[in-house]
Amino acid sequence: MENIQVDALVVGGGIAGMQAALDLADQGCQVALVEKEPSIGGKMIALSKVFPTLDCCSCITTPKMSAVAHHENIQLYTYCEVQSLAQNGTGYISKVLQKPRYVIEDACTGCRQCEYECPITVPNAFDSNLGGIRAIRVPFSTAVPQIAVLDMETCLFCGICEKACPADAIDYSQTAEEFEIEAAAVLLSTGFEITPPDAKKEYGAGELHNVIDGLIMERLLAPTGPYGRILRPGDGKEPESIAYVQCAGSRDETLGVEYCSRVCCMYAIKQAMLISGSLPLADITIYYMDIRAFGKGYEQFFQNAKAMGVEFIKAKVASIKQDENQNPVLRVELMEEGSRVEERTHDMVVLSVGLLPAYNPQAVYGVPVEDDGFVDIPAPNASPCNTNRPGIFVTGTAAGPMDIVDSIVMAGAAAAEAVAYIHEQEPAGSVPVPAYAD
Amino acid sequence: MSDAKQRAALLKRLREENAETVKRTQALLKEQKKVQQLICQNIREKSKTVPEIAAAVDMPTHEVLWYLTAFKKYDIVVEDGMCGDYILYKRAEEK
Repeated sequence: MENIQVDALVVGGGIAGMQAALDLADQGCQVALVEKEPSIGGKMIALSKVFPTLDCCSCITTPKMSAVAHHENIQLYTYCEVQSLAQNGTGYISKVLQKPRYVIEDACTGCRQCEYECPITVPNAFDSNLGGIRAIRVPFSTAVPQIAVLDMETCLFCGICEKACPADAIDYSQTAEEFEIEAAAVLLSTGFEITPPDAKKEYGAGELHNVIDGLIMERLLAPTGPYGRILRPGDGKEPESIAYVQCAGSRDETLGVEYCSRVCCMYAIKQAMLISGSLPLADITIYYMDIRAFGKGYEQFFQNAKAMGVEFIKAKVASIKQDENQNPVLRVELMEEGSRVEERTHDMVVLSVGLLPAYNPQAVYGVPVEDDGFVDIPAPNASPCNTNRPGIFVTGTAAGPMDIVDSIVMAGAAAAEAVAYIHEQEPAGSVPVPAYAD
Repeated sequence: MSDAKQRAALLKRLREENAETVKRTQALLKEQKKVQQLICQNIREKSKTVPEIAAAVDMPTHEVLWYLTAFKKYDIVVEDGMCGDYILYKRAEEK
């Protein structure tokens, strides 16, 4: 079994993992970055713009993805999963499973000839399944690495992709392979998932096509999105009236999600502003319990949205049904009108769903989680990146809901903690000291 | 055995080993080809909106939009302006 020795193992290639890997590598550490998907980039690469600056997400994420792939101190392992982790002196040794792409990585040029010729279309997860993609494909246009992956669960073994490939890169006989990574420190950046669409029965349980979640709206707003514009997934209509329902999956005891997800207010406001730009005639209403605009520049961002004509209504949304034209009909308790109940019809509804932990590291890493499912941090004020195990650190939304700014800041902090730990364990002089340290 | 024969033998073996997957995927392909033919025939001469296509091919509007989105990604259909609140789709020029 191949054995790779590095200073730090970073698990998860979203924005937090990439930033942590880059910060470690820039300080002279050898880093292995393991990502379970065929491409790094995480959730952020699928988003449209960031708040409160409205910078393009792709323009921030893509250079970082490229920097990770080309950094001389980073070894990138995509489509891999850590199977086990064992103590190895003061460090750790992990077994990693490389899942088969059925494509020879060194040969594939990412030309997508196989994708164009493949006859089978499957739901495109990158576009929140709003459109289709071929069974063999490069995951998305800015994927890193640009290597195709074949979904064997929807393969006919017809050989068309093999014939189409000009680089002879298709290999149907590939199997999963295990290898080991030895590292002095481990950083967990396993990210988040969102409330499942069927969680709220009273909001249609995912059955209403024109009731979508915030991540789907991100794809509709992104220039590379499935429709190339904002349309209702139910029938392709350009919506004239869009409503946001806040706290649709957070601060909700019935779902077991009692915490605030911290990003929903701001992404709803951001999306409302972007929709105002794309559809200037559309009415946008945000039904909220209270607006939490706590970060730098966030309150001004909220005020700007109000000034742009986005309507904020303090209300509780009891239920969502749909009329005969697929329009969502909201039953709303208007808090500032004596709790009067009213039915309001919109063309489309966006649920500001909550953030849930994506992964429980207890079984593999021996790192416990808290009651909310996020990684337990024993001393959150003094050492916010340290888990209960020396040398294992946590960063980004694996630690709890946070926005992109906080994820990047925490990634830098986790990298600094990890570098200090690595230096403590190694004999003096064995880990290169960055040039600027002098 | 030549390379081509070896490849053919490997594919045959894989099809036998994954008979369930192949059967399921063949049914999916058959369905997808039927829908593609139906939709493309419908918009070969005249551009149509999603509700118009859905009514013509007797499919739910969300499914028609899903297929059109996939077809557009692979240049099988193209947009052709708007009609009211809806985009018009037409068959792309066939090569």
